[in-house]
Amino acid sequence: MKYAQLIRLLVNRELTLRYKRSVIGIGWTLLNPILTSAVLWYVFSFVFASKLPSGQQFAPYLMAGILLNTFFNQSLMQSAESIASNGGVLTKIYVPPQIFAISSALAGLANFFIGLLPLALVCWVSGQSLALTLPLVIVVGVALALLTAGLGLAISIMFIRFDDTRNIVNVLLLILMYLTPIFYPVGIMNQTMQNIIHWNPLTSYLDIFRWAFSNNATPTLFSWVYMSCWSIFALLLGTYVFKKYWPRTVAML
Amino acid sequence: MPVIDLKNVNVTYRVLMNKSSSLKELFKDALKGKARVVDYVALQDISFSVDAGEVVAILGRNGAGKSTLLKVLAGVLPPTRGTSKVNGKIAPMIELGAGFHAEMTGSENVLFYSALMGRDVKHVKERTPAIGEWAGVADHMDFPLRTFSSGMVARLAFATATDEKAEVLLVDEVLSVGDADFQEKSKARMHELISSGAAVVLVSHDMSAVRELATRAVWLEAGHVKMIGNTDEVVASYEAH
Repeated sequence: MKYAQLIRLLVNRELTLRYKRSVIGIGWTLLNPILTSAVLWYVFSFVFASKLPSGQQFAPYLMAGILLNTFFNQSLMQSAESIASNGGVLTKIYVPPQIFAISSALAGLANFFIGLLPLALVCWVSGQSLALTLPLVIVVGVALALLTAGLGLAISIMFIRFDDTRNIVNVLLLILMYLTPIFYPVGIMNQTMQNIIHWNPLTSYLDIFRWAFSNNATPTLFSWVYMSCWSIFALLLGTYVFKKYWPRTVAML
Repeated sequence: MPVIDLKNVNVTYRVLMNKSSSLKELFKDALKGKARVVDYVALQDISFSVDAGEVVAILGRNGAGKSTLLKVLAGVLPPTRGTSKVNGKIAPMIELGAGFHAEMTGSENVLFYSALMGRDVKHVKERTPAIGEWAGVADHMDFPLRTFSSGMVARLAFATATDEKAEVLLVDEVLSVGDADFQEKSKARMHELISSGAAVVLVSHDMSAVRELATRAVWLEAGHVKMIGNTDEVVASYEAH
């Protein structure tokens, strides 16, 4: 592909740039989920650990949630931001702007895969074995990358045109985070909340991920169908919105 | 066959007429029924062509449509009506250093900028030392760009943009990069590129540079062509205006 080299450079840049000025550099990618999980585990394990269905372990449950949520948040914001912040170049040199969104999603995917190492360690410590379905994690990762690239494309136009979009998106992401069973078991919620959580697309991604990695959840056929639908829908939406509004946006930049 | 061929190019886009660029304002205005969209005509019926080895200067005041025209030529902005045909590789020399990143080293930036222009990364890797040498920043190439002075950045960007032959050069006010020595050097390289058959579109407010380089000139006013023809005549009328 004509732009493969550019995508490689972009992914590389995004992976190394974030921690470029810190001493342990890319080591933060490993350390970050461990530290966040440790804090939340300390706070919540007393309350929630005993509420999980039998056979499920709280530590890997929590960490899987954090990994997936970080992946979603970061690559969504990055793919939207990458187009907005490279507006200067994109109005001067013809490069399909979608490449920037895709590269951000791929960088998020790479970070996610790196985070699987500490997750495996946590599984082992808490006495859980990895599942044979492990390779299916790749499917979830790719599906989530598609979701973030698609939504990121759609949002990027808003980022450029309206200054307050970032704040609004941040608040929405926070709400979405609380509606995803990251650190609490779904069972503790009342029926209405359980329904809302059920229809939250991230719940499907997360259930499949936990199940595929270490058999730590019970996704249904619905989860698979719902996940695929959302990834495809996001991609179509992003492409449509972008195709429609990008020319006008370029004219204004 | 001309390298650049514009036929009846029109660019119109809709703008929101509200005071701030925030979603909150837009929502408030929409509720009050105040949100208005107007069609803004940026370019109107532009037709001209540029042959290989020709240098066409675009003159005009701010807001006349020069940057919109460059966006159309770069292929970034599709015309609303009309056609814009550009045959060959484009080297955009507009706002030098726009694709650069402060935290990446000089070499990394050269590589990245070249990849953006669609050049082969492997080949550029071999050329990088020579590019740094030519820009006079050879011993800085392994340091992050934030340690460069703005002159050094512009020189490196110029050296990168002109390192490979291109059929089309889009130049926007970049002839005044660096000190006198470098200006001589960059002028020489521009002439070299022109004589090797590049078609050049030059936007500049520097009339002496325009007179020296351009073979023809196009005077834009409020989105349409006010005058087109021989450089000296167009520049003279533009200056008299």
